[in-house]
Amino acid sequence: MDNLILILAEVVSAVLCFILVRYMIKPYQYTGESRYVGLPLGFVFLGLSYLFMGFALFSDTLIFIEDTKWMQLLTQAFAFAFLAVTYYFSKQPIKHQRLRWQITFTGLIVALVISYLIVFVPPTFILPSYKTVDEYFRLASIFFASYISLHALKSHAMKPENKTIWFPLGYFLLVFGQYSFLVWSLDSSFIAFVGAHLLRLTGLLVFLLVSLQTFTPSHDAIKEREHR
Amino acid sequence: MKIYGDILSILYHETKKEKIVLTHVQLRTNVPYDRLKKYIDELRELGLIRDDPALGLTEKGQQYLREYQTVLDFMERMGLMYKKGISHTPLLLK
Repeated sequence: MDNLILILAEVVSAVLCFILVRYMIKPYQYTGESRYVGLPLGFVFLGLSYLFMGFALFSDTLIFIEDTKWMQLLTQAFAFAFLAVTYYFSKQPIKHQRLRWQITFTGLIVALVISYLIVFVPPTFILPSYKTVDEYFRLASIFFASYISLHALKSHAMKPENKTIWFPLGYFLLVFGQYSFLVWSLDSSFIAFVGAHLLRLTGLLVFLLVSLQTFTPSHDAIKEREHR
Repeated sequence: MKIYGDILSILYHETKKEKIVLTHVQLRTNVPYDRLKKYIDELRELGLIRDDPALGLTEKGQQYLREYQTVLDFMERMGLMYKKGISHTPLLLK
């Protein structure tokens, strides 16, 4: 029963991420700037990582559960890395940093491929325990997500409006969610574990609500257009 | 793609004036004149702008501009800084 709730939480998180991809791809589609490709990629990877975790919980007795957990670990860390890189390169006009962006993005892809090869392709390297690596990867995810949160918060501070506070808040919830997972992995606190899931789900819901609010035309707007 | 949105945004503002002067559009987009002419031709082929009775946005162009500005608004909400200097057209937004 407990497992079922956890699997459900992972699946719902994954579904939320995949719905968000539909909106996250729009900046790239409408500006044609490759630096924004990290947004949909980040959310696809985030969704996949939740699916892998859900699958690992579901297939508790299968032999490849360890592999699935490693997949989740790598995929989630790279999801936050893609998002952080996108935010980093959004600061200046692309013409000033196109080469740096291309090198960084290629570096990330190469690092991703190498990481998967190290973990999955024989001869398998002697790796530290999953738990140890999980803690380091959580720290990396916290670092990347904190950077994104602070970047978004800085943008809000530069132009303080009600509508611009929600995304930083959503990212902070993801940071605290990751932090709670880290606490849970260190001291097995049940509250931290439940809190981590709740924080993550709330953060993703905030993103979804803001996206829907932005892209769903208001009733007044539709009426106004019909008038013209 | 982004240049299309920016040009449409500027054209929308310019249509409020008596006559659209392409040099003004060129100055605001910071694009060489010959390239701007090429973009204008492409926008015309896509059915986003019209020449008759005067240079301006078609219904399809206004729809595209609305979507473009919604995306810019979304990026602003996300905390992604984008394109300072090009003024938006809030009248068309929602």
